[in-house]
Amino acid sequence: MYGYAGKILRVNLTTGDIITIPTSDYEKWGGGHGIGSALFFDLVKDKTISAFDPANVVTIMTSPLSGTIAPGCSSRTEVQGIGAQPYPVEWFTRSGFGGRFSSMLKFAGWDGIALEGAADSPVWIDIRNGEVTIRDCSDLSLWGKDAWESQEIIFDFIAGSGSYDTWVSPDSASDARSTQRPAVLTIGPAGENLSRMAVLQHGASNTSGQGGFGAVWGSKKLKAISVMGTGSITISDPEALFKARLEQVAQYAYDFDNPKDAGTPNLFQSPPGQGTTWESFPNFKHSSGQRPQACIGCHSGCRRRYESGLGNEATCSETTFYLSAKSAEILHQAVDLLNKYGINCLEAYGCYTYMRQLNKEGILGPGKEIDCPLNFADIGSLEFIDQFLKMVAYRNDGLGSEHECGNIIAEGAVRAAEKWGRLEEDLKTGKLEYPYWGFPFHFDPRIQVEWGYGTILGDRDINEHDIMRLYVFLKEIFYNGAKQLSPEEVINIVTDKMVPFQDDRLMLDFSTDNMYSEHMAKLVSWHRYYTRFWKQSMLLCDNRWPDFINSYAPDMIGSTGEAEPLFFNIVTGKNFGSFVFKLKDVDSAVHNADEF
Amino acid sequence: MSSKNKKGNTLVTVSRRDFLKYSGMVIIGSGMLGCIGPGDNKATWGFLLVDMKKCQGCASCMLACSLVHEGVISMSRSRIQVLQNSFGKWPDDLTISQCRQCVEPACLKVCPTGALHRDLFAGNVATVDAKKCIGCKQCINACPYPPGRAIWNAEEKHSQKCDLCANTPYLGEKGGPNGKKACLEICPVNAIIFTKVIPDQQGDEGYNVNLRDEEWEKLGFPRS
Repeated sequence: MYGYAGKILRVNLTTGDIITIPTSDYEKWGGGHGIGSALFFDLVKDKTISAFDPANVVTIMTSPLSGTIAPGCSSRTEVQGIGAQPYPVEWFTRSGFGGRFSSMLKFAGWDGIALEGAADSPVWIDIRNGEVTIRDCSDLSLWGKDAWESQEIIFDFIAGSGSYDTWVSPDSASDARSTQRPAVLTIGPAGENLSRMAVLQHGASNTSGQGGFGAVWGSKKLKAISVMGTGSITISDPEALFKARLEQVAQYAYDFDNPKDAGTPNLFQSPPGQGTTWESFPNFKHSSGQRPQACIGCHSGCRRRYESGLGNEATCSETTFYLSAKSAEILHQAVDLLNKYGINCLEAYGCYTYMRQLNKEGILGPGKEIDCPLNFADIGSLEFIDQFLKMVAYRNDGLGSEHECGNIIAEGAVRAAEKWGRLEEDLKTGKLEYPYWGFPFHFDPRIQVEWGYGTILGDRDINEHDIMRLYVFLKEIFYNGAKQLSPEEVINIVTDKMVPFQDDRLMLDFSTDNMYSEHMAKLVSWHRYYTRFWKQSMLLCDNRWPDFINSYAPDMIGSTGEAEPLFFNIVTGKNFGSFVFKLKDVDSAVHNADEF
Repeated sequence: MSSKNKKGNTLVTVSRRDFLKYSGMVIIGSGMLGCIGPGDNKATWGFLLVDMKKCQGCASCMLACSLVHEGVISMSRSRIQVLQNSFGKWPDDLTISQCRQCVEPACLKVCPTGALHRDLFAGNVATVDAKKCIGCKQCINACPYPPGRAIWNAEEKHSQKCDLCANTPYLGEKGGPNGKKACLEICPVNAIIFTKVIPDQQGDEGYNVNLRDEEWEKLGFPRS
């Protein structure tokens, strides 16, 4: 299939075996999540094993659109396997991240990676086009380094005698060159110490956060994967792709000469840089110079890089991770620490909030019923948050000495509550806001119903903002007593796109009476189909898709339903055909594989 | 002396030094002193200028370059290179290296076969005839502006350079100095413009311009 490089890399860390799997064997699963599920299904015989069992397989998958100019479709990478975070059972789950890893992997000639086994001592994987080497971490003293240091050490190693202000030749088998740094996916100390809050980190702030895959890598003694690719991605219809990209952006993206809804984040039409929530707080915004910063191929990057170098590329909830901070600089530094230690932002926030509540009630603190070394009177300082994050990352008191509390909270808030004998009571009172599967509160499932249903039907907090945006963002700009559209018009535009349930306007009735209805079941079904295929298998970015309502479009009818299959067909040469009917077939198969 | 981007904004002025140096090339009657155009047989009829403080680092320009020229997407084959460091400090976290279309190109002088030549039918742009290229890489090594702007196509074993999209089978419309340029067309933040005014030929400064306006500032990004 066009868009793919044709090979999937299978690495056994126990034996050192490196095997090539033809992508064509798995193309019927589409890409990303679909192929990852199928690979996991085939490679893991006993699906009930622990996340830390060497037989656990972690898949890292691209899509046919990765590395192309299909807007908002180019950068995501899908990660799957048995995760360390889900509670009460470590089960098959997923995560993903943006940046430029998936594109570089395809430029190197690989459509994905399947990791299995566990090394005896810490290793990292060095991929330079077709050359794949499992290297000992000790040569570069990588193990023990934070997630930023390890990337920069690998940058230097790959450059050899060269430097990234000019061309480097990474591949001894050819004279191909690149000006790009390798794309590195790594763990920080949290992953090395098997914290269930540990992420896979790429660049300053791209993280595969939920699922605890950093701990899974730590158990496999895998510090990092570095990819350097100098090859090409073949497109079925290059001319049509270029034309479609220009037309899609001209018609539906932010127009600097005709600005509309400039402050709105996370829509296809949003202007660059609006995913950085801290910039909307006068006390926390950067006062220095900055640029928007985009993942590869994106028409509108959601984050920023700063003159201070603090908080680079941070976005969404991590930019509000420590709003108790006494200054903007402390908040920005706190987020950098989060990323350097390689810790899941949402889980760290949930755990920290829970511990703070227990402290307020006199239950947790130095010498209290739950002995915790943190001085909660010092909340807001950099020292406080650094100590908390170090407790999570190093399983100690955060200052370098052993302490049971660090060891307990590194397991995540739910398992900590269980250890402290408080789980049932604190879940019931709402003190511990973890509504499902050991994942922290995100949006209230009583209000954001499809989010709750999607999560309890699946394996994790879904973190899919498709429908939620209609409520949180769009109400302000489209139908809050103001301008362009009436609520009825909004409902018609959105439900018209929800083929094959398009005639049911009550899918968007979020009243209590409708929560348990067939209408809501249709909405949840459509949402599961859309996200599992287009977002997690074709890897369209959650911050830019779907495009339901668009201020720049004729009658404000966004491009979803037309644009997704258009780009898929142009890149792959396949005829996707009917938008959702086909999607339903493919996606049902993926769901069945997941559930099995 | 001015130039316009695709939105029609006036943006660029020619340096006094280059105006004096190259004014002999100007076509009398063109009405644009300091510019170049038909009849001029020395300089390319235009130049790409970038704003390195504005670029969002999406590399769409790089992906589009090889797509419209060769029908594949390759960062290594792109004639415009965006170099960036996720951990760097703005504005030094990113540089853009586009071909300068030098008035006196070092790459062209060293080509032993004439493969690298000026195309009189494409606005004098210096370009590589892949059939004549013997892969000696002298043009690549001769470029004095790191990273070298002549590109090594390792898959097809020849050099190539920016032709301002003159030879682009997959662009879908006319390219070249008087046509469309893929990198400029695709840049989502208007950080690339085209000018027919000769930039300062000393160093890269004349090729890096300020394209930030009031609307940019309203989004929270500095104008200066």
